[in-house]
Amino acid sequence: MRDVAVVAFAQSPCQAANRRDDMAGILLPVIREAVDAAGIGRDEIDFVASGSHDFYEGRTFSYIDSLDAVGAWPPISESHVESDAAWALAEAWSWLQLGEGDIALVYGIGRGSLPADLDQVMPAQLDPYFLAPLAPHRDAIAGLQAHAAIGAGLTSEQGMAEVVSRCLASALDNPHAQRSERVDVARLLDAPYVSSPLREHDVAPIGDAAAVVVLAADDAARRLAERPAWLRGVDHRMDTHYPGVRDLTESLSTRRAASRAAEFAGFLPSDVDVAELHTEYSHQEAILAAALGLNGAELNASGGPLAGRPVTATGLIRIGEAARRIFDGRADRALAHATNGQALQQNLVCLLEGEG
Amino acid sequence: MTEPVTTMPSPFRMDYTYVAGTGRTAFLRGLSERRLIARRCADCGQVYLPPPEFCSRCLTELEAPFELDGRGVISTFCVVNFPFPGQRIDPPYVVAHIQPHGAGTRPMHLVREVKPGQVHIGMEVEPVWVADDDLDTSLLSIRHFRPAPEGGADA
Repeated sequence: MRDVAVVAFAQSPCQAANRRDDMAGILLPVIREAVDAAGIGRDEIDFVASGSHDFYEGRTFSYIDSLDAVGAWPPISESHVESDAAWALAEAWSWLQLGEGDIALVYGIGRGSLPADLDQVMPAQLDPYFLAPLAPHRDAIAGLQAHAAIGAGLTSEQGMAEVVSRCLASALDNPHAQRSERVDVARLLDAPYVSSPLREHDVAPIGDAAAVVVLAADDAARRLAERPAWLRGVDHRMDTHYPGVRDLTESLSTRRAASRAAEFAGFLPSDVDVAELHTEYSHQEAILAAALGLNGAELNASGGPLAGRPVTATGLIRIGEAARRIFDGRADRALAHATNGQALQQNLVCLLEGEG
Repeated sequence: MTEPVTTMPSPFRMDYTYVAGTGRTAFLRGLSERRLIARRCADCGQVYLPPPEFCSRCLTELEAPFELDGRGVISTFCVVNFPFPGQRIDPPYVVAHIQPHGAGTRPMHLVREVKPGQVHIGMEVEPVWVADDDLDTSLLSIRHFRPAPEGGADA
């Protein structure tokens, strides 16, 4: 195995809706910031991988617009996942393992604001014959999962509100957060339900943003970053597609991905100082913490997705935020988690580590 | 034996907002005023029509918008001979890449007011705009291109 590290991370502010900039317009300043942070020129990038989703954009091959911000001239080596960009990072990591090059740029662009009504769009990710015709509300399946998690004793409405309160307070230090405030748990519990037992604040706010991570291997990583965030282990797993077949209160795919990542890394999720979890809903923090076996790690110190969820960039931001805490020495070991699909169907786990 | 189920209605309707961005917004606004708006890259000289915000080669912001008259030459074309659902014109008709004079990129459009057999690469063409009431922030503000005298009026 080659040693591969995150050497730079940048993101644009999470906005509820950006009506000014097209895809490339959102992305280009973020790419510039990340590439400048790594101190490299475009021609030093050996591979580009991105994540976005046509169902959010409302057009086919929507990501090609974003290539205008990468500069596919002269032609570049490039790949795309129709998914959260954390999966693009997994592909870039594999590509670097093949030894075809030393530096990869990974970006995610997500614009959840473009669908006029997400309730029209979100059922399309479900089984088209037995679930989609029921047209469940965008947060309906998460509501089922939250109720089940409370029933299993993993959390409570009070506990969920405490997660939200903590995340929104942490987000006060995050200039890119869409939502941040100091708010009492009691006040949160006064809010009406959107999909019982979920209240509005339990649902990560969907919006628009781009994120960029620069990966480098071996000596290139040591050259480009003072303290690279080494990706010691990366793995992703998926559960079955039909939510009714799963026990929604546990995330076996997260557990298995974490266990495989730990085999690569030589340390466990219980050893990390910080963890960035892709919690699309507040109740998922308890499910993920249990599946990962976290032990005292600071959770979503950036505010996490409950402070901003730019679709298909949110998972990559978790990896970037975890890496940022290693860059600046606040953490020696970190975990980043990303998810895709309904109710934590697919999960990716990265274990990162700083040296010295 | 029970008859197998082979169809199931599962209709989807999805409505979206299109964000053109500042660059293409200027182009689309121009179309609604019978103006073709282009922008040049100061670094490589490429002239984009329609113009995005940045040069996709140099990644630098394009210069101020300027107007082209839309006259140009056919750089390639094909004759559509087959019918298909949603077709708005009876075949045969010509679809072409137009190289407007002064532009480095080639918009695609219809070429009409000429027999398909007489269309050729390098043919001089000009835009035919729709009536005032039909002008919109859309490429359909140009009804089609048609042959124009070689060299043009300002030659």
